Amino acid sequence: MKRLLVIISNLILLSGPSTLVWAAAEKAEALQKKIDVTKLSGINYFFASWYNDNMWLYAIIVTVLMGVVGMLIALVADIILKMIGMETHKIEHHE
Amino acid sequence: MLDIFNVYLPIAEMQFNALILVAIGFSVGVLGGFFGVGGAWVVTPALNIFGFPMAYAIGTDLAHIFGKSIVATAKHRKMGNVDMKLGLLSIVGSVIGVEIGAQNVMWLTRLGIAGPVVRYLYMVLLFGLGIYMLYDYATKDKRAAAQAAKVAEAARAELAPPARKSWNLPPMMHFPTSGITISFWTVSGVFLFTGWLSGLLGVGGGFIRMPALIYLIGCPTAIAVGTDLFSVLFSGAYGCFTYGIKGRVEIIAAVLMLCGAAIGAQIGVTAVKYIRGYGIRLLFAIMIILAGSSVALKQFNLTTAASWVVMCAALGMCLVIMVKLWNGFKKEQAEKAAYAGKGGA
Repeated sequence: MKRLLVIISNLILLSGPSTLVWAAAEKAEALQKKIDVTKLSGINYFFASWYNDNMWLYAIIVTVLMGVVGMLIALVADIILKMIGMETHKIEHHE
Repeated sequence: MLDIFNVYLPIAEMQFNALILVAIGFSVGVLGGFFGVGGAWVVTPALNIFGFPMAYAIGTDLAHIFGKSIVATAKHRKMGNVDMKLGLLSIVGSVIGVEIGAQNVMWLTRLGIAGPVVRYLYMVLLFGLGIYMLYDYATKDKRAAAQAAKVAEAARAELAPPARKSWNLPPMMHFPTSGITISFWTVSGVFLFTGWLSGLLGVGGGFIRMPALIYLIGCPTAIAVGTDLFSVLFSGAYGCFTYGIKGRVEIIAAVLMLCGAAIGAQIGVTAVKYIRGYGIRLLFAIMIILAGSSVALKQFNLTTAASWVVMCAALGMCLVIMVKLWNGFKKEQAEKAAYAGKGGA
């Protein structure tokens, strides 16, 4: 038992430095980079240009796009599920 | 052969397989819709395994979580599983709690022990919660029988059945959707605590809030899932925006993942209809124990093994949920057919 405790304590102490590195690595800072848009076209060019020009606007575009696409897919998927007979309505809550 | 699905990601400036992104989104969508969690703890290691740049993994993940939460919350709301009042209160409590947790992390960092404390707390929480939920599942019949015996005994003695012990410090709040009346201080305390934990651990907090809603507040399981997703929606929106400002969202990858996740979320939410509350709790317990094992592996620097464990667990659980959904659906169809047959006769 004592031997097991010694092994566990050692493993905990050994893993300390690596976990500190892991914790430090998780901080998110703004990326300072510009994307080369010369080879891009269409939608890729559009997003990359906003990314380069105005990060705030890029963030707004991303957030709005996610919301709109989410709602559209929800609508379409709901119609499809209804068609195959998996419609949803209020359910009884059984534990 | 799968190279035909490669797409160019303009922000990450690399080629990546669209099929992988849709598949990861789909599986985490099923889990998110079913358990009421964001699923960042599955997506980030999964993206990492397939070579997605880590610089964009968290931001892209949060962006798709926001879109997916809209899909899942809308569907849960239709099913009557979202307690708006409780959800809004959870957001307020969680924001304050997260700030306190973040301050604690900074203090621990100054002491030089943030990493180990956070990692061990994470493991204790995942294993502790998982084991408790398994125990709760295993003893549910025994507890139900004991409660029924108490009520029967009280009825024989013409007494009122024993009241459930709770802390009733005013003001009391009533939540009609959940069917509970509880002290404002209890609700605030619970959300402050879960927010503090998520701030301290640096996670979205869905997997902490969902069991807290069940065990500490007393919500029915399906309402806990729906209400938790409602809170995840707001944290996802904030995360998407703030990581967007920092240039860490790969928008094409996020949209592709969202396509998979939105379909997966529909399946996950629909499965809630066919599985009883305790069934959801059991699967959740297994999932978080496996997630805890993954964190333990990471602790011993087995990062690749840890990522594979969490990804295989997610895929396995996804399969179980889909099978349960299919069986429930078939059973429902058979019952409908039998009912129609009786009506016809």
